[in-house]
Amino acid sequence: MLYREALNKAIDESMAADESVVILGEDVGRYGGSYRVSEGLFSKYGEKRVIDTPIAELSIVGNAIGMAIAGLRPIAEIMTANFSLLAMDQIINHAAKFRYMSGGKMTIPLTIRMPGGVSRQLAAQHSENYETLYSSIPGLIVLTASNATYAYYGLKEAVFLNDPVVFLEHELLYPMDMEFKEIKNFDPFKAEIVKEGKDLTIITYLKMRYDVLEAEKELKKAGIDAEIIDLNSLRPLDIETIANSIKKTKKCVIVEEDHKTGGMGAEIAAQIQEHCFYDLDVPVLRIAGEDVPIPYNRKLELLSIPTPDKIVKKILEWKAKNGI
Amino acid sequence: MEYKVIMPILSDTMDKGKIVKWLVKVGDYVKKDSPVVEVESDKATMQIEAGVEGVVKKILASVGEEVPVKTPIAIIDTEQKAAKIEESKPQTQTQPQTQPKEEKKETVVNIDEILNEIISSPKAVSGSASPAAKKKAAEYGINIEELQKKKEIPKPAHLKDIDEMVIKKYFTPKAARLIKEYSLDINDFKLDHKIRSEEVLNYIKQNNIPKITKLTPNKIAVIKNVQNSIKKPTFLIFEKINITKKEGIKLTAQIIKALALAMQKNPLTRSVLKDDKLLTYPASNISVAVNRDDGLYMCVIKNAEDKTLEEINEWLKEIKTKRLTIEDLSGSTFGISNLGMFGIERFTALINDKDAGIGAFGKMNEGEIKVTFTIDHRILNGVEAAKFVNDFKKEIQNV
Repeated sequence: MLYREALNKAIDESMAADESVVILGEDVGRYGGSYRVSEGLFSKYGEKRVIDTPIAELSIVGNAIGMAIAGLRPIAEIMTANFSLLAMDQIINHAAKFRYMSGGKMTIPLTIRMPGGVSRQLAAQHSENYETLYSSIPGLIVLTASNATYAYYGLKEAVFLNDPVVFLEHELLYPMDMEFKEIKNFDPFKAEIVKEGKDLTIITYLKMRYDVLEAEKELKKAGIDAEIIDLNSLRPLDIETIANSIKKTKKCVIVEEDHKTGGMGAEIAAQIQEHCFYDLDVPVLRIAGEDVPIPYNRKLELLSIPTPDKIVKKILEWKAKNGI
Repeated sequence: MEYKVIMPILSDTMDKGKIVKWLVKVGDYVKKDSPVVEVESDKATMQIEAGVEGVVKKILASVGEEVPVKTPIAIIDTEQKAAKIEESKPQTQTQPQTQPKEEKKETVVNIDEILNEIISSPKAVSGSASPAAKKKAAEYGINIEELQKKKEIPKPAHLKDIDEMVIKKYFTPKAARLIKEYSLDINDFKLDHKIRSEEVLNYIKQNNIPKITKLTPNKIAVIKNVQNSIKKPTFLIFEKINITKKEGIKLTAQIIKALALAMQKNPLTRSVLKDDKLLTYPASNISVAVNRDDGLYMCVIKNAEDKTLEEINEWLKEIKTKRLTIEDLSGSTFGISNLGMFGIERFTALINDKDAGIGAFGKMNEGEIKVTFTIDHRILNGVEAAKFVNDFKKEIQNV
């Protein structure tokens, strides 16, 4: 199943199951969504439930919050995560805080979907995900969908949660054909152990999952049996799954596409040393994007983010440097 | 121009080859016949030659990797050869290395290269031990500082260093070896005294723990061969042959000679099937089951019909210990297996590889040997096989 089809299926089934579910955003209606995620929904549910909006992110989220307060379950789409900066006041000051400010009288059952990440030469202003930023805001739930299975189950869960969810997608994943697994008792906040291993734990999320899987083949040749964890949920963070894995492997590598300084990896590494310092046999390694605005030039773009060969090289260097 | 060195097909049954050792590195100048890599097939280990003159540009497979046949394993830049010959004459080693350094950037990750680079650089970390190492050391009463002073463990110490010390502390060297061999968990033992090998052996016996041996490539090849063999439509012929043992000559040599002569009269026994064709060879090439120190091999004696008994006898002696090449293991059309020297009366054998059949020979009893021929019915019918067996019976009386 294509990644975008999984998202489409989740939205379609949610709208069919509950009349209060509506979607709004730029080109989500007649055009079918800029990544074809909402394809076919306009003709099926009509303009009252599939709403094309002006190019005004602040108003998209603002309107969606109003709908949520009034009893609907809106799914707002921001065309690319960088544009969500324009809606930041609504997301942080309003969506994340209303439940607290009203003493629990108001809930905001809102989902904000955002494609993002380093795609192909979209340059500095269209290549980010801001997952670290959103994950640092109390009151928000931040989910990342790296695969069709989680995209489907995760988005359905997000729509029916009573708190605002920032649902992060990656632009390179939409056309990917992926295996779809049926899951019973799905927990959106649980990290997935993608591959079991005994020598070291690699934590990752979103598109980096695939770079890590590619790197793992090379690591295997070097005799390293890596365990791979896909976080799925960044806030809340499933530290239990992480800690259990490190108890076994004693070594941890975090692979993220985002900039290294103050990135998700920094938070995860901090939580690891809080939870399982005495299980660590070696300092946690962060493999992350460079601290530069993402370059437009393809070669420079690839140099600025982790790639499978860089992941392998950094892990081998780290092992040798630490004498393990 | 770029020339690709590919994983060659070294035998009919080979579909993958394992890289044993690279004999060149990126930047090395090679001649057409320079060996570049050692490859292990399902039958033997061979050196592969460059095939062209030039400079090694890329190495595409790492040591230990199993590569499908016909896949490129290295790239040789043939353009660089002229310049290199001149340069490499006075100083063979240093010169060719300077230029290709830049090209390294393009190569895919070469784990060995990276490791060599890093291991030779000084360690950048300091401190006494990792948190996990300290925790384990405390648990098992191991004094990290003291051991580091005596230089028994490195600084900083890691879990594996402490693990080694725990084993050293609680197990005798012989017991420690058993722990490794059987992949035992030391926590299954009561660590309050020095544990001797007898105690470990007892534990192994009581819990019936298997010792794990990785199959050798030869063993895997034998398994593949016999599994393929069992799929063939075969029939059996049981016979007795009369034979006069010659002084100083192995019985097997006499059998080979007689079989080779009988094969000359029966073309189908010199034939193999390939797709929808029958290939009939002029030579009597016979595969002989040889029990060597490194495993069971079906070694092939070529043109046995032209060889004297003494030559065959000599071949049988040599083949037991010589380093086998692909030539020694391919090209046969009929096989034999002899268990007579082990006192076996009668048995049946499985046909080797593409052979038309195989003769299984038992022990000699008053000048008589019981033999069972397994015949591939796709190549020989009953009548044809009967004629061949009768020819063989005649020949064996004359050799």
